[in-house]
Amino acid sequence: MSEMPTPAVSAHGEHETFSARVLRQTAARWGARIGFAWIGLVALAAVFAPFLANSHPLALKTPDGWSSPLLENLTWMDVSLLAAFIAVFVVWLLRRRLNGARRLAVLAVAVLASAVPAYLLVNPPQAVVFEKYRQGLVSGAVEQAVFVPVPYSPTDRSRDKPLSLSPPDSEHLMGTDEDGADVLSRMIHACRIALGIGFVATGIALVIGILFGGIMGFFTGWVEILMMRFLEIFESIPQLFLLLTVVAFFGRNIYLIMAVIGLTSWPGYARYLRAEFLKLRQQDFVQAAQACGLPIWSVLFRHMLPNGVAPLLVAASFGIASAILAEATLSFLGLGVVDAPSWGGMLNQAVGPGGTFAVWLATYPGLAIFLTVFAYNLIGEALRDAIDPHLQRAPG
Amino acid sequence: MINYIIRRLLLMLPTLAGITVLVFSVMALAPGGIGANLMTSGGDMRPEERKAMVEYLNRRYGLDQPMTTQYLRWLNNIMPIGFATGPDGARGEFGFKTPDLGSSFVKNRPVLDLVAEALPITLLLNALTVPLVFVGSILMGVYTARFRGGALDVSIGTVNLALWSVPTIWMGVVLIGFLASEEYLKWFPTSGLSSLRSDSWNFLPTFGTPSEPGYQRGYLLDMLWHLVLPVICLTYSGFAFLTKLTRAAVLENLLSDYARTARAKGASERAVLWRHVFRNSLLPLITVTASILPGLLVGSVIVESIFSIDGMGRLAVEAVQMRDREVVLSITLITGMLTLFSYLLVDICYALADPRVSYE
Repeated sequence: MSEMPTPAVSAHGEHETFSARVLRQTAARWGARIGFAWIGLVALAAVFAPFLANSHPLALKTPDGWSSPLLENLTWMDVSLLAAFIAVFVVWLLRRRLNGARRLAVLAVAVLASAVPAYLLVNPPQAVVFEKYRQGLVSGAVEQAVFVPVPYSPTDRSRDKPLSLSPPDSEHLMGTDEDGADVLSRMIHACRIALGIGFVATGIALVIGILFGGIMGFFTGWVEILMMRFLEIFESIPQLFLLLTVVAFFGRNIYLIMAVIGLTSWPGYARYLRAEFLKLRQQDFVQAAQACGLPIWSVLFRHMLPNGVAPLLVAASFGIASAILAEATLSFLGLGVVDAPSWGGMLNQAVGPGGTFAVWLATYPGLAIFLTVFAYNLIGEALRDAIDPHLQRAPG
Repeated sequence: MINYIIRRLLLMLPTLAGITVLVFSVMALAPGGIGANLMTSGGDMRPEERKAMVEYLNRRYGLDQPMTTQYLRWLNNIMPIGFATGPDGARGEFGFKTPDLGSSFVKNRPVLDLVAEALPITLLLNALTVPLVFVGSILMGVYTARFRGGALDVSIGTVNLALWSVPTIWMGVVLIGFLASEEYLKWFPTSGLSSLRSDSWNFLPTFGTPSEPGYQRGYLLDMLWHLVLPVICLTYSGFAFLTKLTRAAVLENLLSDYARTARAKGASERAVLWRHVFRNSLLPLITVTASILPGLLVGSVIVESIFSIDGMGRLAVEAVQMRDREVVLSITLITGMLTLFSYLLVDICYALADPRVSYE
């Protein structure tokens, strides 16, 4: 008989929880480290995009005095993302004093408290002329202007100096695209859409999948049969085809695209959770919880779910990668969101109709998509190895 | 086993009905309805002419009927038993009839013809992809597991993980840009499946006939030359993923008890590998195939768009953009059927490969 394994003790001398151990083991692998580093970079670029690439100068000196066009032209999304970043930072500083549920609650409250007033109060001017700063500097109307590192907005088509599809030079570090917009600036702003779609679509799919999978795994009989048919229907729908149909019939709405990607991805998570719940159903603690008279939703989602959620996280990591790929494919086919920059849309402009090839438009956006997908795949693999090395096969 | 197959075939019907209802609802609930594209064409027309055109389209395609009626009418048309359509659209009597997929709004041709032209091309692409992916990944997976730690294993291992993450759109653009463009190498053609006038060529390559002296590529070689880049785009990701899976399965089985017993009995390493371990390693591969096969149909949408190949993918994209109700529903039905049949085929293969599995 082998001896009992010693309980895990964390660096602070207290008993280490399962999730803490999983996180520690995941972060120890080089693959996950590279993955987290790249995702961190993309997240920082997404949050601070208006401060990294903007045609509006941070500070502008005219004969009337100093002003800040950049701050005046921030949208509500910029403000909310900055507030969310500050909230995450504060929660991380206070992590010793708050446990898991309280941290999430503080984050949710902070995000809502900043997003709603921002949506209602922040009103940037609608008509924007990007060239007036550059022209003002030349003509003398503007005495001094402090620009951000990349002095071009993603929608700045440089009408004062038409430069469609020009290779990288000292002014445009990654060249320009078909419309004359700076590629580096568009790539920085495209991080937002990529990460946003990844997280929101996977979040929707996780919520639906957990609900369905939990109920299916616990109940038997006609409930399970009916829900299984429902799941098979959604599983058999080709995701790209449904995306194309919805975009063609309902227009190009980013929230609709996120919803459709979420609605076609949830069957995978439901199957995983159902398999886990089928195993957990027989356990003593579940029967004890029921015998105590706890309501069904409490038994399912407060007692069984934390025990069965591990393979779901692995699948979620791969799911985020596939959601980002789906959006990139949609933008590549020309059906993505209209004016917002997207890596897939930029990749589409690389091969011209006459057989011309713009290397910079093929390399940088493609590399960005590849590295993001690669990072999430690495994180998913490391999570899987940390949770259970035998977790290689698809669930039954 | 026969019971299981019949039960699965019968269970396919509600699933197919569900998929088509879902797609139809998306079309029906859209702003402008199904006929929006048809009604807006025609440009500058006087109100009476426009009204006459709208009435004609409504009568011809049944666009003004309620949504359930339109769907049930379509359902009736595709079933082999139902109400036959008499002259002028009146309802005939109930009985056996030939299924009718309808005709396209935009192209004015029967949907069956359109599908019959596009489906063989997509099937050709997939028929080349699937054996290449499986044979290649099985061989590579077994070889790298057998010589674990060797030069090929280490290099293939790192390449696989990266190759699996490369998006198809990037691979297609890079392949065209570097191998098929004017600025770099022009080794391959950029689009299509055959060169201009290639159907007037000989099928096999010829080396100097009296009428056309010199080397003539021939239709077969020309098509293969056009197929190289699309097939690379379709195969690389499945190849990377399945190689990794096969390698893990073979490694696990090489260390198992029965392999050790076989070696102890005196079987050669080669016999242990190919007669015992190989079959058991195929099982996770078969399980995973069920999830890969629908991805092939989707992958061909992307590849057909990039390389301008007129297959089912292109047909689907155009039909959806033109709001062509009959074509969209037919393609949904066909791809749904192909997906479900492939799931069933995979389950049967799994039962055949593993005698311990029974579906009773």
